[in-house]
Amino acid sequence: MERHQISETRTPRSNVVVQRRRKSKSYRLSYRSGLGAADSRLGWSPALTARRLNTSRKAARLSNIAEKVDPGQLALLVKTEWQLSYVTPLHQFRHTQLKSYSRQLSAFIAAGKQQGLAVEVEGLQTTFRVSFSVVQGMTQSDEDAESVLIQIHSKRLFANQDEPQKPVWSGWLTCVNGNPDYLHSLPKGFVCLPLFGCSGADGLSALVKSWFQQSFDCCFGPLEISHTSLQWLMALWTNCHAESGIQHLKMIWTVPAAPPLQVTYTVDPEDAWELWSSVRKEKEKRGGGGGEEEAGENYIDIEEVTRFMQGLKSHFYRHFRLDLSAGTLNQVSTALGSAKYSGRMKISNSRYMITTLTLLTECALLKMPI
Amino acid sequence: MAAKLSLSGPPDSDLSSTSNLSVSSRSSNRSLRVAEKERKKKEAEDPFVLALKYFSDVEAGTPVNGNDEVERNMVLVETLAYSKGLSPEAVSVMLEFAMSLRMGTSLCARVLKCLIPATLVPQEAVVRAVVWLSVGKIPVSTQILFIKWVLTVFDMIDAKNQLRAVYGFIFNFVTEENLCPFICHLLYLLTRKESVRVFRVRKLLELQSRLGRQPFLLNLLSLYKVFCPEMVMLSIPSRIKSGFRNHNMPWKSALIAVQKRAGPQLAGPQVASGSSPTSTTIKTNPRKRKRCHLEVPVMSSVVSKEAQTEPSSCGKVVPLVQLHSFAQLLDNMHRIELPAQMGSLLGSSLALHYLDCVQDESALLRLNFWLGYALHEEFLFCGDEGASQNSEEALQFLDKLLSTQQFLQEGFSCSEAFLYKFLNVWDGSLLRPQILGLLSNIPVVPSSQIRQLLFEPLMQLFFTSSLFFKCGLIECLNNMLLKWLTWHSVYALEDDLDISLNSHTSINMTLSGFKDSVMELVDFVGRLASLSLRLEGCHSLLLSFVLDFYETVCDMFIKYGLPLVVMPPPGVFYPALFATDPVSVDRLAYIMHRYKVNLTSAKSQEKLTKQAFHISRQTVREFNHYIIVMVNCLWNSKMFQLDMGLSLGEELLLKTKVPQYSASFDLVHHPAFMSYAVDFHHRCWPGRKDMDLNSIKHSKPWSWYLEFLFSQGFDGLKQFVESNVGRQLPADEGQGDSQST
Repeated sequence: MERHQISETRTPRSNVVVQRRRKSKSYRLSYRSGLGAADSRLGWSPALTARRLNTSRKAARLSNIAEKVDPGQLALLVKTEWQLSYVTPLHQFRHTQLKSYSRQLSAFIAAGKQQGLAVEVEGLQTTFRVSFSVVQGMTQSDEDAESVLIQIHSKRLFANQDEPQKPVWSGWLTCVNGNPDYLHSLPKGFVCLPLFGCSGADGLSALVKSWFQQSFDCCFGPLEISHTSLQWLMALWTNCHAESGIQHLKMIWTVPAAPPLQVTYTVDPEDAWELWSSVRKEKEKRGGGGGEEEAGENYIDIEEVTRFMQGLKSHFYRHFRLDLSAGTLNQVSTALGSAKYSGRMKISNSRYMITTLTLLTECALLKMPI
Repeated sequence: MAAKLSLSGPPDSDLSSTSNLSVSSRSSNRSLRVAEKERKKKEAEDPFVLALKYFSDVEAGTPVNGNDEVERNMVLVETLAYSKGLSPEAVSVMLEFAMSLRMGTSLCARVLKCLIPATLVPQEAVVRAVVWLSVGKIPVSTQILFIKWVLTVFDMIDAKNQLRAVYGFIFNFVTEENLCPFICHLLYLLTRKESVRVFRVRKLLELQSRLGRQPFLLNLLSLYKVFCPEMVMLSIPSRIKSGFRNHNMPWKSALIAVQKRAGPQLAGPQVASGSSPTSTTIKTNPRKRKRCHLEVPVMSSVVSKEAQTEPSSCGKVVPLVQLHSFAQLLDNMHRIELPAQMGSLLGSSLALHYLDCVQDESALLRLNFWLGYALHEEFLFCGDEGASQNSEEALQFLDKLLSTQQFLQEGFSCSEAFLYKFLNVWDGSLLRPQILGLLSNIPVVPSSQIRQLLFEPLMQLFFTSSLFFKCGLIECLNNMLLKWLTWHSVYALEDDLDISLNSHTSINMTLSGFKDSVMELVDFVGRLASLSLRLEGCHSLLLSFVLDFYETVCDMFIKYGLPLVVMPPPGVFYPALFATDPVSVDRLAYIMHRYKVNLTSAKSQEKLTKQAFHISRQTVREFNHYIIVMVNCLWNSKMFQLDMGLSLGEELLLKTKVPQYSASFDLVHHPAFMSYAVDFHHRCWPGRKDMDLNSIKHSKPWSWYLEFLFSQGFDGLKQFVESNVGRQLPADEGQGDSQST
């Protein structure tokens, strides 16, 4: 666990992102062009920037996402539990080609499903229908690429001819508030949609991923939601209690005892809110004069999150004489959503979706190899 | 029962073969039996055997929730299954346990998922399970899972006769809508001429009229028609649309992994046993493998993107896959199309030639993304799956990466980025040669970052690791320095000195920046070397690696044209000077000689061009000091003089009771050369009884002695003496014409 923390948060100097390789010949030339490129494209400072999870983030605000995003798509995004992955930037992905991608992917799936057989592409009855669509209105900044939704419909094996196809798999690629420096640093021709969520049969997920890998030369890796991110989510969600009730705050901890002990810790929403408000107030008090920056935006600091967690843990300790710090937080859930360490995530309330996705996009970008 | 259970496939199969042998050879019978007994005893305590015993004995209706025992045992079975596979006995125990639903349906599916046979699957077990299929209340999804499992391991079932005997029984499941496709597939594999009966054909036809012309029904019917054409009147299309779907079975990947691990000796019998026409031969299917990131993708050309890429003016492009020789590569150099996945270039040597001259920045970036992803997933995000299992694969991958880098003569930026993270978590022993190899390939690191990125993690590793790691790291840093210097010399020759000298990283580095980095590196190794020599008691192996490094350092100006001279720290100089082996002293002498040559040549160049570089006074002073010490020590027998920087109190020296302490490190009395002196003494004065080494120091024997030493191969010493000592008499105050620059 600790290992991960270190490994995924420390990143070397960021401008190794694009490697310039010029052999001899125009040494001087490449020197100049290298300089020019370094200034414009490799945007951020050449000094070592240890990429870390932000230590401060905007509190979730009620957003009118429902007005911007197609309600059908939004309903799909909200009602499902997603298995998350990170994706390296897609090469030559065009938002204008989605129709052709749909065709290619369904052919690919059909081929994959009939592996080992001579496939007749023409005569093949397409049992799988794939549709790609753009989810308009999810982007938060100009750098963010538009999110893409993929749905696979299929007919039941013994269905009648006229029975409509049912959705069997869906997935999306998104980038919400992605680090602008990173996005800037990518050369033209790459589209960065680092967060991938899917739900449906594993076989189909594997096929879709491998099609993406072959078509856009990208890689998919599992995205865990780290201990810290889970705590962030708890705090962000609790912070919304006043506007829309969280109903409950549930945590599942695993304590390394033999046999392993699983602790389900559910907190009454009012209590959680009270604890959270006290943590917030404390900050305001401490902040004293320095409140000017809070005037504009409502920011939450990592210190507050840790204090909130500390409060919850010490409460638990008082009652059960068990220090949860020894264990790991595996799962958190409220009425606004749930998240698991294994990378499964559900957003139940669309109004706070953007905040959650921003956090997850950040986690995904942290996983990028370069 | 438990006594019969064995750990896993491979040892078990070994045993069975040995016990067969024992029947024929009586003599070895007893010892075998004893060994057998031993083995059984050992197994009785084996937790896995106990776990199996648990599953074979557990009572029906035992609760699952909160039952730690079952959880623990289950985990044991799962780990073994995924690592080595299960022995035939273990498969039957677990299958029986699962299908009897003794502990509910959820565990049933879980057991089925981990049922990975190591060698064979006993037929009885499968037959029993088929019987359970109709007896128990197994949910349909689990039933499907079971049939899929049978299909996957079909070739591993030791015999099929009993299964064929229950053909009719299996056939009955055809009416189950969800099971039907899988049952048809299984029947297809089992069907014999005698199993084709009119009522079965009728049943299938009836099903077909109900379900439509489903491919699986058609396939089975066509097989029936092959056996008994008179019974099946149905006209089967000449080309059936598709056969049985080759479902992506969840076990395949694990099976392949287990078989791979078990090695080729196991693959033999299995291939032999599987010979049915459309049997589910296990194809390498990297897609479903859990840890497939280390596999180099297959090279394939870009999937029709006709809409995206307009036909370019230069005519048609040639996909790299279609090129098979170097000549072809050269002919088509200008119109080669990159493969769909850049990672695939690593797999082909021809492609590497092309990679060497790829101009496209985004192509390299794609390659770097893939490589970086693979490295990160394997070594940094590996999490709980344990990297040790995979080490063979990891080793091959890194070797491939290393040879690629060697071929291209430069490191990939992603491996550099990866190393900076990995060094912080590395234990210093996992794949050490490969990691150090990658490390030595990293391009010049700016001096402002070198400390944080490299030195801090390396320092921690260095001082907490064994002597061999220390040697390895010094060697690695030496290689790194060599590569940096080579890059420099290549680029510096092309242009004036003060120009950015390497364009292979995005960092534009000026000459002075480069010098700073080299300086930092040399200083760092100096610090490491001084401290570690002290820690390891001046171990001569370590000293040898350190001297290797300084052999590179002392020649930086002449060999690589880098206007920089850095002297070794006293912590390196003195241990080498007072080393007990003559080789180290000789090498030190050689290094000092080269320093002198470099300094003089730099000096003369400075005078010539009037603009070269300025050697700091400090460096010259250090050099002079070392020379004086060496000459005084080896030549003049004036060890502990006040100006030597190595002073000991007079009383203290007297206390040691060493006679003539000031001469104790001259070429005669130096512990490294003492044996040569004695040898020389014997040869020079064969008759003499009493040994008087001091007599060698008289002028005649001294020069003979030197000749003698040089003839033993101490070339470094020879060069040192020739360049620094005016070959006068030892008594003479030959201060060595030490540098006065």
